[in-house]
Amino acid sequence: MSAFTFTLKNPPAQRVDCSPLTADKLGDKSAADIAALTLVVGNQKVRVDALFELSGDDLAEIRFEKATDKLDHIGHGMSTGTITINGDAGAYLGQFMSGGSITVNGNTHIYTACEMKGGEIKVDGNAGDFVGAARIGYKNGMTGGTVIITGNTGARTGDHMRRGMILIEGDAGDYCGSRMVSGTIAVLGQVGKHLGYAMKRGTLLLQQPPAHGLAGNFNDCGSHTLAFLPLMFASFKKLDSEFARVEPFSRVQRYAGDLAGIGMGEILVKI
Amino acid sequence: MIINGVTIDETFAEAFPMRGTRVIITAQNLTWAMNSAQAFTGFATSVIACGCEAAIERTLEPSETPDGRPGVACLIFAMGGKGLAKQVETRAGQCVLTSPTSALFSGLEMDEEGKEIALGKNLRFFGDGYQISKVIDGKRYWRIPVMDGEFLTEENTGMRAAVGGGNFLILAESQPQALAACEAAVTAMKKLPNVIMPFPGGVVRSGSKVGSKYKALNASTNDAFCPTLKGQTKSELSAEVESVMEIVIDGLTEEDINKAMRAGIEAACELGAENGIRRISAGNYGGKLGPFHFHLQEIMA
Repeated sequence: MSAFTFTLKNPPAQRVDCSPLTADKLGDKSAADIAALTLVVGNQKVRVDALFELSGDDLAEIRFEKATDKLDHIGHGMSTGTITINGDAGAYLGQFMSGGSITVNGNTHIYTACEMKGGEIKVDGNAGDFVGAARIGYKNGMTGGTVIITGNTGARTGDHMRRGMILIEGDAGDYCGSRMVSGTIAVLGQVGKHLGYAMKRGTLLLQQPPAHGLAGNFNDCGSHTLAFLPLMFASFKKLDSEFARVEPFSRVQRYAGDLAGIGMGEILVKI
Repeated sequence: MIINGVTIDETFAEAFPMRGTRVIITAQNLTWAMNSAQAFTGFATSVIACGCEAAIERTLEPSETPDGRPGVACLIFAMGGKGLAKQVETRAGQCVLTSPTSALFSGLEMDEEGKEIALGKNLRFFGDGYQISKVIDGKRYWRIPVMDGEFLTEENTGMRAAVGGGNFLILAESQPQALAACEAAVTAMKKLPNVIMPFPGGVVRSGSKVGSKYKALNASTNDAFCPTLKGQTKSELSAEVESVMEIVIDGLTEEDINKAMRAGIEAACELGAENGIRRISAGNYGGKLGPFHFHLQEIMA
């Protein structure tokens, strides 16, 4: 058995909704059935084989080759299997996914891991705005699972995030952890402005002091040795990430906020 | 059956089903983990009046604990799941939450039946709204702010069907000799996993029988094994026996108790007749007490 591979024939001019192309939805369809499926491209419906060359037979292991950032909704609602994307992925990568794993060898567009429930996403590149966020008008962002970004993220990382973990090896953009309800975002690099804006609960774990400082509505709670950090770093050990190799620390400066709201969130900065 | 001059009675120990769990208490150093563990497992010798039976199973190296600090593993058993949950909760709240630098973890995974009981789940309310939950590797932990920093506890611990009341009696020519044999037996048994000897030092001197002449009591002194009553009651004791002591064992499985009884009886018999050890017997209530029967001669075969 070899990975079921979708190789993009030509970069599409319009956005492509790839949500039907998951192990859950393809089930036990034959290659011919899959070729005859239609995808929404812009305002039209286009057969899968008009867009992609198909090869391989193992639907538990799906690959996208020569992918571009026009391929939206990859891994939509998936609960099992693996998806590997060579090239860039579009918006809403892994939206609603509850299990399995997605690896992107490239960059992702906005809303990566939007309202994700479980499983693992690894982006070997940069991610756009709203990683792990809720859709516009919705209150619940990511509720479980792990997202690893080896590069940088855009603005509003973890907007409305409720549970789960976002691990950023590079830098996070502005408004990181905005309106966060709970969960953990850890950043090895720098963070942008307005860190934790309107954050309710949750943890922002920083390896470096934020270059732009902290907003006035985060109060210093002093330096502490926190017992949960060794457990968290131990759980990173099994990840394929820089976080597995980073020197564990449990000594942090704790800031609580956003005090304009309920102020139960925390920013932990390594000291 | 005679081992080193010690007669092994053709009888069986009678044990009953219990529910059990293991918790791991860690702290800044072993002394403080032990302080907390001793309190957690205090006043827990017998379910008759303590509500549970608990003891320290063993100490743990930093490499064996979830948070990499020195720790102590405790086993705790009760007659039912609800009773166990209540005991674990009150004891954790009063003896671990309160103990400086402590953290509390589950030491037992859920079994196939998938039964869990609360460990820190309800202690979190002590945090008065400042408690923080963290899910790490699929397990939920609670961080409760306390005066020395933060108390970290796992939300739940696994509960297993277990066996309580495994036992054997050591019959000796004198009190010091009976105690010496018990000490040797407990030392040997403590090396084994998944079992505890819940009585003080692992030894009971007041074994009981079922029932009493007093209506209010459902257990009373085991007069057949009381040496001072040899001429007054239907005694089990021969003329030379002057002291009897019992070792009670609770374990996670029947097999664990089997192994522990064998190790304990072997150690007692090693002292042998020359040290005044005459017989090994067991608490047997004719099958009235429980479904688990540990036949001494089969265990020692």
